[in-house]
Amino acid sequence: GTKFRHDVLPSVSPIATSQRHSNLPDIAAILSRCVLIRSVVELWGAGTTIESCADSVQKFAQYNNKDKDIADNDNNGDFSSSSNSGSRSSASILAPHRTNSRSWKITVHTLGSKYSREEQNDMRHQFAFLRFDGPVKMECPDDEFILIREVALDDKGGPIYPRHSHGRVLISENEARPPVAAYFGRILGSGRNWRSDLERYSLKKRLYLGPTSMDAELSLVMTNLARVTSKSLAFDPFVGTGSILLSCGLRGARCVGTDIDIRVLRGQGKEEDVFSNFRQYHLPRPELIRSDNSLYHRHYRPQPPLYDAIVTDPPYGIRAGARKSGSKRDEVRAVAEEHRHDHIAQTRPYAVSDVMADLLDVSARALTMGGRLVYVIPSMTDFDEDTDLPRHDCLKLVYTCYQPLSAELGRRMVTMEKVADYDETKREAYMANVWINGPESAEKCANIRDRIIEAAKQKPGYEEKAALRREKRRATREAKKKAKRELQGTGDSISHA
Amino acid sequence: FDELLLHHRPPEQTYREARLPLSTMRLLTHNYLTSNVKGTTKGYPLIIEAEKVECEESPIDREMIIKLLPKIEYGALLGAAKQVASLCDPPLPDLPEELDTASEGWEETIDDGILNSLHRVMFDIHIIEGALICPDTGRKFPIKESIPNMILHEDEI
Repeated sequence: GTKFRHDVLPSVSPIATSQRHSNLPDIAAILSRCVLIRSVVELWGAGTTIESCADSVQKFAQYNNKDKDIADNDNNGDFSSSSNSGSRSSASILAPHRTNSRSWKITVHTLGSKYSREEQNDMRHQFAFLRFDGPVKMECPDDEFILIREVALDDKGGPIYPRHSHGRVLISENEARPPVAAYFGRILGSGRNWRSDLERYSLKKRLYLGPTSMDAELSLVMTNLARVTSKSLAFDPFVGTGSILLSCGLRGARCVGTDIDIRVLRGQGKEEDVFSNFRQYHLPRPELIRSDNSLYHRHYRPQPPLYDAIVTDPPYGIRAGARKSGSKRDEVRAVAEEHRHDHIAQTRPYAVSDVMADLLDVSARALTMGGRLVYVIPSMTDFDEDTDLPRHDCLKLVYTCYQPLSAELGRRMVTMEKVADYDETKREAYMANVWINGPESAEKCANIRDRIIEAAKQKPGYEEKAALRREKRRATREAKKKAKRELQGTGDSISHA
Repeated sequence: FDELLLHHRPPEQTYREARLPLSTMRLLTHNYLTSNVKGTTKGYPLIIEAEKVECEESPIDREMIIKLLPKIEYGALLGAAKQVASLCDPPLPDLPEELDTASEGWEETIDDGILNSLHRVMFDIHIIEGALICPDTGRKFPIKESIPNMILHEDEI
């Protein structure tokens, strides 16, 4: 078998430091593309506490008489990767921001903890030696500085040792813990205000939604993993309502989507179909084809491979039951030729293990060399990334990113890259090697909703809670009926008068 | 309404606010589609029987076209263009009978004139209604509201 190697992105700290020289146009370009970067900071000092961070910044500020190289870093400790390398001295970094014509502020960012205004101001005061002469301005200052107090976070992004309990009571043992690190620097650029952009692109404002439309942020991240650019041809074989395809379009790619279900492709009516979304954002029309991904190789000529990126959210039998062409029956009746033109093709259930195997096989065929497949699958805690993910000899696993949604359930974003040409003669071997643990691995992703409901039923108190919910629903229904009756009653009396 | 389609020249924009389908089927897609009904030998290229076609100008991306040209079955593209030509307004430009995408430096031989014509044919023709016909079996795959329906019936698989 092939060697299975992958890189897992570390989820320990949301802060990354780099020695890169601060090149503003590059940073602006990165920020415009990235979905998850909050800000890029020119680091002036760092330490394991706020005090030591302030010391580190003070030493940095003291090198301000000559054009002295800050390559000489031994006084500054492990963290201080003052982001300049080369000829910029701290004088040239600090001086422009000290003039009295520049407004400024210091943002205090305490990860995973809440601090009062007074407490934050105490932290700010430790940097008073910087002596910025300009006025403090809270909204859109010329310079925004940031003090980051980092604590250990769990994989859901919450603090492992929270400062406050749920009742806002201070937990003294946690309060006594020192921070993981403190950083101080100048903000060079903030992430695109995805919150307002996403509101613009958000599902609430979209003209057309289906039950499985993926949130905009997630699908934009997928386009980054798939390296979708304005030069790409992007493909979604399970396009559904088109949310992911839309994000590819937002990156400037030419988009193609297929689905077996004509109802999602068509939408609710002329004004509300998938393409209304493309129109809404002024993108070139995507191409939609009604076809069956399990028969991809019979609908599309194989050579040469066409797509730079395949980005999709496959159906895994939760709310979108997967279907493929063909009859459920063993004996297939021929369709009379005179009825061929309006015969509705039968479909049958499409097992998740086949959905995934076919997806990988289609990607291996249809991706250009170096092209990427990015897909999401739900999984519960029994899923083992090393053995349960599907594989293909032509594809290499590049990343997996796990997003926990609850204690038991999460979403996995998988990125694969085409590394070998597809050889038609090897098709059976490819398909035989997809699941090293057998198709049971796929079953771990299938029908998760039912499994969650089953698990909930086992928990104590389920019956009582279910009864309460039923009672509540009945009460709301009764109330609505009553209100409606009263309204109609009033209407009747008016029409009689 | 059909008159409007044939004679109205859309302004320079990516698509129109008209009551027309907002997706499309371009000749680039046709270039890849095959019929593989049980019993076909090749099933490619599909014959286009177009009833409603729309032409819409869009910005030209030379890099994209050069990148795509080696992937295209040029003969099939030419054939497709001829099959829809009668429904295209303004009339389609002439395309070279052959295109070399194999020799060294072939990219230079694609001048702006040829590029424009290729762009027009690959991206600016939109098939809205019609059918794609298997050249071997005659099976029709309908195109409705610019979505081709390639689903095989259960006895064709």
